[in-house]
Amino acid sequence: MKNKSVVFLVIVMMLSSLFSIVGCSRLSTSQDDRKDELILAVGYESDTGWDPVTGWGRYGSPLFQSTLFKRDSNLNIVNDLATGYQISEDGHVWTVSIRDDARFSDGEKLTAKDVVFTYATAMESGSVVDVTVVDNIREVDEYTVDFILKKPHSAFMALLVSVGIVPEHAYGSDYGEKPIGSGPFKLVQWDRGQQLIVEANPEYYGDKPYFNKITFLFLEQDTAFAAAKAGNVHIAAINATLAGQSVQGMTLVNLESVDNRGIMFPYVKSGGTTEDGKPIGNDVTADLAIRKAINVAIDRNLLVAGALNGYGTPAYTVCDNMPWWNPDTVISDGDMEEAKKILAEGGWSDTDGDGILEKDGLKATFSVIYPASDQTRQALALAATEMIKPLGIDIIAEGKSWDDIEKMMYSQAVLFGWGSYDPLEMYKLYSSGMAGVSWYNTGHYGNVQVDEYMELALAATSEEEANEYWKKAQWDGQTGLSGRGDAPWAWLVNLGHLYLIDENLDMGQQKIQPHGHGWPITDNIVEWKWK
Amino acid sequence: MKSANSLPIRTAKDTAHKNMLPKLSRRHRTLIVLALTTLLLLSIVTGSYILSDSGLSVNFEIKNQAPSMNNLFGTDWLGRDMFTRTVKGLSLSLGVGMMAALVSAVLALFLGICAATLGKTVDTAVTWLVDLFLGVPHLVIIILIAFSVGGGIRGVIIGVAVTHWPSLARVIRAEVMQLRSAEYVQVSRHLGKSRWWVATHHLLPHLISQFFVGLILLFPHAILHEAGISFLGFGLSPDTPAIGIILSEAMRYLSTGMWWLAFFPGVSLLIMVRAFDILGNNILLLLDPHKAHE
Repeated sequence: MKNKSVVFLVIVMMLSSLFSIVGCSRLSTSQDDRKDELILAVGYESDTGWDPVTGWGRYGSPLFQSTLFKRDSNLNIVNDLATGYQISEDGHVWTVSIRDDARFSDGEKLTAKDVVFTYATAMESGSVVDVTVVDNIREVDEYTVDFILKKPHSAFMALLVSVGIVPEHAYGSDYGEKPIGSGPFKLVQWDRGQQLIVEANPEYYGDKPYFNKITFLFLEQDTAFAAAKAGNVHIAAINATLAGQSVQGMTLVNLESVDNRGIMFPYVKSGGTTEDGKPIGNDVTADLAIRKAINVAIDRNLLVAGALNGYGTPAYTVCDNMPWWNPDTVISDGDMEEAKKILAEGGWSDTDGDGILEKDGLKATFSVIYPASDQTRQALALAATEMIKPLGIDIIAEGKSWDDIEKMMYSQAVLFGWGSYDPLEMYKLYSSGMAGVSWYNTGHYGNVQVDEYMELALAATSEEEANEYWKKAQWDGQTGLSGRGDAPWAWLVNLGHLYLIDENLDMGQQKIQPHGHGWPITDNIVEWKWK
Repeated sequence: MKSANSLPIRTAKDTAHKNMLPKLSRRHRTLIVLALTTLLLLSIVTGSYILSDSGLSVNFEIKNQAPSMNNLFGTDWLGRDMFTRTVKGLSLSLGVGMMAALVSAVLALFLGICAATLGKTVDTAVTWLVDLFLGVPHLVIIILIAFSVGGGIRGVIIGVAVTHWPSLARVIRAEVMQLRSAEYVQVSRHLGKSRWWVATHHLLPHLISQFFVGLILLFPHAILHEAGISFLGFGLSPDTPAIGIILSEAMRYLSTGMWWLAFFPGVSLLIMVRAFDILGNNILLLLDPHKAHE
């Protein structure tokens, strides 16, 4: 009895994944049989439901709602619900006019009242949708809205692009479960943890989507891969490990992304605590020579080849290849000699012969924390620490839960991931005013010159002007927030987002993908069609 | 883990082992198993000390390699040597299992004696506790405990230790109750010996054998639960070489054809657990007065 259970448990542990590979019948995509239906396994459901006010739809298509503006495949801003906008000379007032033919899926008209209601609700809810810059929102007439900002804010457009408009008349506490919107699709069924079924919204003002019904399955990547192999899904988001195998009838697509991974270093010396008593600062990572040497020593191309199986690109900043990225931030890395020189000049030497450097009695050792559930981050953390070891810096990689990371992230280096279409993300990660706020500048980085550039960027009235300042904040030739300057982060890689896609499916032109493997691919879902 | 709850009473039934080595007496068989288990134990412990940590380092140049002379158990997706990881993992499992089983057995001994000697209230309380712990699946309690003490090796040890004592405690309680009614114990009592004196001089010596058998039989369960909880991700940091973690990671690679990632660690765990299981059962049968002469 006991013997049986011993054998059983081990066998279950060894073989349980095989059960998921059992498949059913293959989806038919032949010319005659294929329908206007799609089945996708591209990510997880939104925990808070499908309410844009609480954060749904920031990446990818909000499906049920539509936004005032959207980005085209080249990341240019184009109208969606809006028909145009104006910014007052002092930069404080953004006037947005909206189309008069938009209706919610329940047939009601969408007017300026709904726009005002959406943003006012977001302001009150204090959710992840950051509307702190908005002072007031005013309905000018039935189809015109004024956003009055506390100060000029060039990145405000990012907010207008990311928040779907909700109906004032049909918004309640259960909206996240029963969304009504003016988007291309409407909700048919949502089985929490399992699937979401949507169908085309006949009231949608834009071009009707080709696919009338789309089912989103919420599967782990291994299971999604098994489902793709069995022919049960048209798209499956997979990881680099699985990418080596070919699947009949499906093509592997590697989408370039700004979904980066990097090591955040605590920038200040230890001693401080947060308001709720969590320790701040780390004496070793507070040393510029340590941070710079790590940035120079890491061989990012090797990380891409080894940890990502080649599906990714080296990362040098939080915003590589975005319009506000400064290409001068690219450093020549994998250079151990240069790194050793930086450390020696910084006063670090191995005085006791144990292979680990010291400076004024302080040993060059610290921990890098990564979320234990993320195998890619584990691989990156272990590989990076291994690369750094010959320098005489002993980094200990430790896997922790997100709850633990939240307690440790002010005093320990953490392997984080970011990457957004919004330059405001850079502001949040590096501005001294954001030190210790939420998950942003947890290392308490601060540089007066960088702060000044970023404030100027926000105050700029044109995107071009703003981008120039964003670039200078990264590196102005003297200082900056990138690895060339203060190096408060060692950015490692941008992940390639991998999908197995039905070879007959035409997904149009995909943009460079932001953080979050999965939903972003749905951004242009209205354009998808059979070849 | 229903089987853990039923130990060691049901396991006393000798079944398959007889057929495995039919010509030897049980005493000899036990000695052979003992020798083999000790050898296995020693080789794992010494092996984990001898093997350098370099096998645990990331080396992309040799990642995903099938078993070969250089890497007996192959390498994983980070180029780590699976033989080194397996041996170190088994060693860790042994340490955790040993510690947890010992704490658990001592707890069982203490509570078993208390229940049988300290009156009805204590007995009822201990019996209630035993029923409580036997009634709830072990894994659930282990996860709760490991989580509440902050995970890590400490969490796993405490979790496993706290959940594995009830069945042994019940056996010891029954044994003590039987001993208490023995004539020489009664005589001792009437001669005015204290409860403590009776417990340490008359009861404990009789319980030692039960205690050790219980300890040995708890051991494989402790190891298995350590692996189980690490497998589920509630225990140790994922870079720690522990069998549960190795198997859990290997699952993701099974569909890519990297069978060696799960096979060798899984079989090693199986062999170790079975070795202790057989050893415990044999010793139990030898010590059982009804079967010792078979």
